[in-house]
Formats: sequence, structure tokens, C-alpha cells
Amino acid sequence: MNPEPPPVPLPHPNGPLAGYRVLDFADEKGQLCTRLLAELGADVIKVEPREGDPTRHNGPFFRGEAGPNTSLYWWAMNAGKRSVTCELRLEPGRELARKLAAQADVVVETFPPGRAAEMGLDYRTLSSLNPGVIVVSVTNFGQTGPYRNMLATDIVGSAMGGHMHLNGDPEHGPVRTTAPQAYAQVNAQAAVGATVALYARGVNGGIGQHVDVSMQEAMANAMDNAQQTWDIRQINISGPGIRRNVAGIQGPRYLYETADGWVTCLQIGGLQGLQANVAIDWLAEQGEAGDLDSPEWRTKLSALMPLEEGERTLVEETLARFCRSRKKEELVAEAQRRGFGWAPVFGPREIVESKQLGARDFWVWVRHEDLGESFLYPGPAFRFSETPAMHRGRAPHIGEHNAQVYGELLDLDAADLRRLKMRLVL
Amino acid sequence: MTPPKRNQTLEKPFRGLRVADMAWVGVGPTVSKYLADHGAEVIRVESSTYPEALRRVGPFVDDEPGIDRSGYYANFNSSKLGMSVNLKHPRGPELVKRLVAECDVVTESFTPGTLARFGLDYEQLRQVRPDLLMISMPLYGQTGPWASYMGYGHVLQAASGYNHLTGWPDGPPIGTGIAYTDFLVPHFAAVALIAALDYRRRTGKGQYLDFGQMEAAIHGLGTAILDWTANGHEQSRMGNRDPEAAPHGCYRCKDGKYVVIACFTEKDWERFKAALGRPEWCDLERMRRRWQRLNEQKEIDWHLSMYCAEMRSSTVFRVMQEFGVPCGIVRSPEALQNDPQMRHRKHYWMLKHPVMGDRTYDSPSFKLSKTPAELTKAAPLLGEDNEYVYRDLIGLSEEEFISLLADGAFE
Repeated sequence: MNPEPPPVPLPHPNGPLAGYRVLDFADEKGQLCTRLLAELGADVIKVEPREGDPTRHNGPFFRGEAGPNTSLYWWAMNAGKRSVTCELRLEPGRELARKLAAQADVVVETFPPGRAAEMGLDYRTLSSLNPGVIVVSVTNFGQTGPYRNMLATDIVGSAMGGHMHLNGDPEHGPVRTTAPQAYAQVNAQAAVGATVALYARGVNGGIGQHVDVSMQEAMANAMDNAQQTWDIRQINISGPGIRRNVAGIQGPRYLYETADGWVTCLQIGGLQGLQANVAIDWLAEQGEAGDLDSPEWRTKLSALMPLEEGERTLVEETLARFCRSRKKEELVAEAQRRGFGWAPVFGPREIVESKQLGARDFWVWVRHEDLGESFLYPGPAFRFSETPAMHRGRAPHIGEHNAQVYGELLDLDAADLRRLKMRLVL
Repeated sequence: MTPPKRNQTLEKPFRGLRVADMAWVGVGPTVSKYLADHGAEVIRVESSTYPEALRRVGPFVDDEPGIDRSGYYANFNSSKLGMSVNLKHPRGPELVKRLVAECDVVTESFTPGTLARFGLDYEQLRQVRPDLLMISMPLYGQTGPWASYMGYGHVLQAASGYNHLTGWPDGPPIGTGIAYTDFLVPHFAAVALIAALDYRRRTGKGQYLDFGQMEAAIHGLGTAILDWTANGHEQSRMGNRDPEAAPHGCYRCKDGKYVVIACFTEKDWERFKAALGRPEWCDLERMRRRWQRLNEQKEIDWHLSMYCAEMRSSTVFRVMQEFGVPCGIVRSPEALQNDPQMRHRKHYWMLKHPVMGDRTYDSPSFKLSKTPAELTKAAPLLGEDNEYVYRDLIGLSEEEFISLLADGAFE
């Protein structure tokens, strides 16, 4: 006998944002934002067109089979939300959406600038119905300005936000992180904007406001010290490959191959820096310090004296040889034991199998009763002592919560919903 | 520079909240910068005996290293006050405790256990401030075999998948060129902290947040984790390609700058063909559908490289956008300063620092219409506000202040 399937989403009355309602009209630029709010306890309602949200067609798909409920993108970004359908191409649909927004604390939308106003779903209209509403508008470049209508995807955001300029290597030019970072950044930063606005509302007598978020600016905020390096030193940092930039000066290698992959470490693993003797001792104990195990080198490296190109290569090569015959996790454990902040290069599989995350009970099994299987998901990014965050189960099917949401919020019954369906609104 | 004033009649959101910011480097200070730029009184708790790492890293003004000269440090610490205290002085921990008694929030990012050694962990701090909200945000969290592991964002990006997913498919996992996670995870931490603040505002209850940077970083990996756990497929770095789009790449133009072009939909592709003037290769049968084009990326990239090599980046950008194709220029830091959109948005603030002069500071990517961020001042000098903190907040007498000062307690 099958056990009762868990409710979708799982209730979460103890989260810090429990009691808030969020309406989600977002594409890739806002779905993670609202998912984070759901994990903090908010009731997030995803509004989809009748045929389903376009991101349901984003790959990859479960077992490689495309379908409305098999997109892993959809699973990842919309877990823990409720779903209603509502046809925003029709005025009755827009009217329905406005009624939902009248009962929402936060609306997250990613329409091109001006589109929300055409549909009567902009801050001005919604706040006239609900003065407390917070409308978070996430766009490529912001609501105003010369580029407001420019088209963008993740790579365009990464490029126009300057971040790509810092990545890559001199031979190939700039590179994008294959997992989309402009989207990740703008989502996380939009969520900050949403929570600041919620707090502001609380201390300002319940008055909401409009939050205008730019993907370009979100990426520009991920430029390390490159902007200040330009401002102060007039140097444009660009992708250093396996090396590091230190405020515009090319530093040594930070990436070394091991017997089973790669490790990363700064300051040539510690061979250059105040603790250089400790690092040289480590290599010397294994008989692999080579020339470095000499008073001259020890002084030179621990006093951080400038190295000539050939000298730096020699130190890097010494470490490279040392790493090549050893396993990355063992290297990292030993380096850490001796006080050096190394880390292994992990791929998805190693992350999932990581002892650290396992020991912290990070992973969550999420039941997909529709597929008769459960899958391992990353647990929430935050741990609270009093108001826990929670993964709230699988992403919803198209309009899975129509009856529930429209009944609860707008008091519509089955006959009303049937009528709306016949009019192609739901 | 000030942001446009629209209905600016409401209180700054965090006005009246006081934050003791014991965190350092990138993550913690970025979190408290959000609070400071939106009205909180944030006090950086530092020491000259163990200076904040970023104060020792450049760029330094005039290339002269100095504790109050780093642009790196400055950018993350706008709108904040600065105090200094020597925790190793016999009275250091007590002074911090007395400060915390006057604070709503404590942020920190030490290796787990460090603050407990000084009697400054959450359990002890809540004794002096029962409604305290405290967040700890080291790399790997408070527990587990890696809890004491050290490192910076340069290496955390490796442990959390960003190296594996950045670079060319036949090359090493170079990762981003920067301490990437330092610029991703603070936003997650800020969301958690502000949500907990809102809960505290409504209920009066503080709490403790055990934030592990790696756990947040993993949420920026898109579908990579689920693709492994559900499909057993390990995603890997693809250069500038995308599993879903063709063309999708980065191309060098005549002026030496790079442009990026992405076509996800058939509509994008049709517009792209029009933008190029429908060259013959575009209309080949094997270019007709997206799944076909995904197999022809080498050829598409070759044609696009030739096309871009003949054109200026600004021309490619303009033409593509006019035809409705997602396209951008890879902005250098310099170009970003002059980018008309960034200027319109007033992203960069110019703040006057007593030692560093007028310097560029980042501001939030979100603009609140009624309570916008305001970067009220440049980064603090080390210990700049000691007198205010020790005399006015903690309430030391003139005598005590002088004697502790002379005794090195504020170093």
C-alpha cells in the first residue's frame, strides 16, 4: 500500500517569513529569489500561463525526456511553491492576477520594463489596490536608462556586468561559468532587496514600495576588487587562467593537478609567505622540498622577497610535483592541519558525497510521488536556531493549486473555476 | 552623488539598529554593508594587532601599503563606524561584551570556536543581550570535519563546484579569476539575517544563525546537483557554450574587445540571421533547428568569429540588439565606470575618505523606491570611532578611557 503522499508544498509555519505571501511572475531572473523566500516560510504562489511556465522547457530533463514536469531546472528553482494558472494575455486573467496581488505582501516579476504597466500589474496599479504591496521588478538592466530595453540572457549579464572580463585566460579570452551566474546573482540580490523592503514596511506603518533590480548591476557587484583597482591604479584586470591577480599584479599559480584531480591554494600553497618554513618542512619530511630546503630559500620565501620569473616557476614546479603523486583530499587535510587554507576542486558528484555536507545533514530527500521516486536535493542555505529554514518538497505541476489558491484567496468555487477555464483564463 | 529622490518620506529601514561587525574579508562586511547602507549603525570591531586581512591587500592609494589605504577594504565598508580592541588585552573581551549589550546584531566569520575562547560566543553574548541576533559565517559552518578548515573565496569556489564548471572543456578547471564565492554567498547570508531581523521585529526574539558559506554557494550551481542526483550526469565546464543554445559564445572584435551572443529560441535564431544579412551558411538544412545547431557549434563559432573580427564591438552590439538578438560587450572595469546604463543607475558612488580621497564604491543592485540605499560615508579608519564607542556607548569614564588607551586595550 502506498503511504499518503506528502502535501505540496510542505507546510512551514515556523520559518522567519511564515505568514507572508509572495506572488511569482518570474522567469530565470526571479525564480530562485522566490524559492529562497519559500524556504524561509513564505507562501509562494507561482503564476503560470495555461500551457505552463516557459521555464518548464529548460533542460536538462529527468532521464533526458522533455515534458512539463521533468525539467530539472523547474524542479530546482520552483520547489516549495504553489502553482496557479492565469492567462495574462487576456484582461480577465490580468484582473484575476490583480486580485491575487491585492492579497500579497511581495510580488516578484521579470517583465520587460513597461510591460507590467501595460497589463495593469505594475507597482502603481497594484499599490492602489494594496498599499502594503512590495513589487520586486527584476530586469536585465533596470527599469530606466538607455539600456532598459536591451535583451539579455545569462552570458550577456555576465559580460555587461564586467564579471566575464575577470574570468578566462590570456590565450582564449573571457569565459563564462557554465552554471549561469548572472541569474544566480540577480536572484540572490533581489531576495535581499525583497527582505529589506519587507523590513522597511514593518517600520513604516505597512507602506510597500517598488524594488527595481538590475542583472547588470548584480554582476558588477561580483567584481572582487577590480573596480577599485581601476579606480586607484588604472589597471584593467582580466582573466588570469590558473594564476591569481593581486590588485592588478599577476600572482602565482593557485591550481595544481593531483593524482585524482586538482587542488587550489594561495601563495603557492604556503611556500611563499610568513609560514613558508612550515610548508617547506612538510615537503622536506617527504624528501620533496628539493632546493627549497636551504637557508637562502627559506629566508627568501618567508620574508616574501620578490621572486624572479624563473624562481617563481621553480617554487611552483616543486609544489606541482608534490601534488601530482598525491590525492587531493589527503593533501588538503594535511595542508589544513599545518595551517594552510587549501581546498579540493569538487565536481557535482564529489559535492554530493562530501563528508562535510554529509556530517551537517545538508541533503534532503524530496518525494516526487508523481514519479514514484525520491531525489536528493541541496538543503536550505541557512540554519536558524529558532526559525528553521526548510526544503518544502517538489515543484508544483501546472495549476496544481488552482482550486486551493483561488478558493482560499478569492473565494472562487468549482463552478467559477470551470467558467474561467472555458474562457481560457485558467 | 545621491539617488533620485522619489517620495522619500519614509524612515530608513534599519534606522535605530546597532550592529557589532566582527566579521572580516569579503563575506561578513558585505552583509553588514547592506544594513549600514540602509540605515543601521554598523560598528566594525577590529584590531591593529591582528588587522583585517583586506586592510593589508591592495589596491593601495599611490601604491603605498597602509592600514587605511586599501580600496579593497574600503568598498565593503561604506557607511560604517570603526572601533579597535585588542582581544588579548585582559579587558578586551569585556569591552566587546559591553558593546554587544548595546547592539541588536552581531556578525562574525572567525574559525568556529575562536570567539568562544574569548567568552564571546552566542551563548555568552545573549546573557548580556537576550534578544541578540547573531550570525556566524565561516566557510564550512560550525560543525563537521571541515569546520576548522581555513581559506578564502578563491579556494571555496573550488570546493563548491565553480572551478569544475568554469574553463574550457579540454583545459584545467580554472574557476573564475576572483574570490568568487565572496561575492555570491553574502547575499544569501543577508537574506537569512534580514528575515531573522524581521521575525525579531515582530516577536522580540533574537536567535543564532549557523551559516556555512559552502552550503549557500551550492545554490548558485543551477541544475548541476540535480542532474547528478536524478540523472547520474555530471555537468562540466563548456567554455562559453551552453547546453541549450546555439550560437552561444564570446567573440573577439576588430577593436580587441569581446562580444557575447546567445540564441536560445528559434525566434532568436531568425532575428540573428536577419542581423547577419542572411548569409548562405545560416540557411543550410543542418542549421534549421536548435537541436541541429547544437551539433554545428564549431562551424557557427567559426563564422561568427570571422564576422566579429571585421566589426567593432559597439557595432555588433548595436546591430544585434536592433534586430532583437541578446548580445553584449564584455565590459572591462574601466568600461563599466563609463557604461551609460551604470551611470544612469548611479551604481558607483564617489565617497571622500580622509586618507584615500574620493573613491569608487559599489551600491546595491536593487533600488528601493521609497527607502533607497544611501552610502553615508567612506570606510572607517581603523579605530576611528573609538571615542564614541568607548565613551558614549559603553560608558567608560574619562579616566578609564585614558588608562585603557595607555595600556594598549584599544590596539
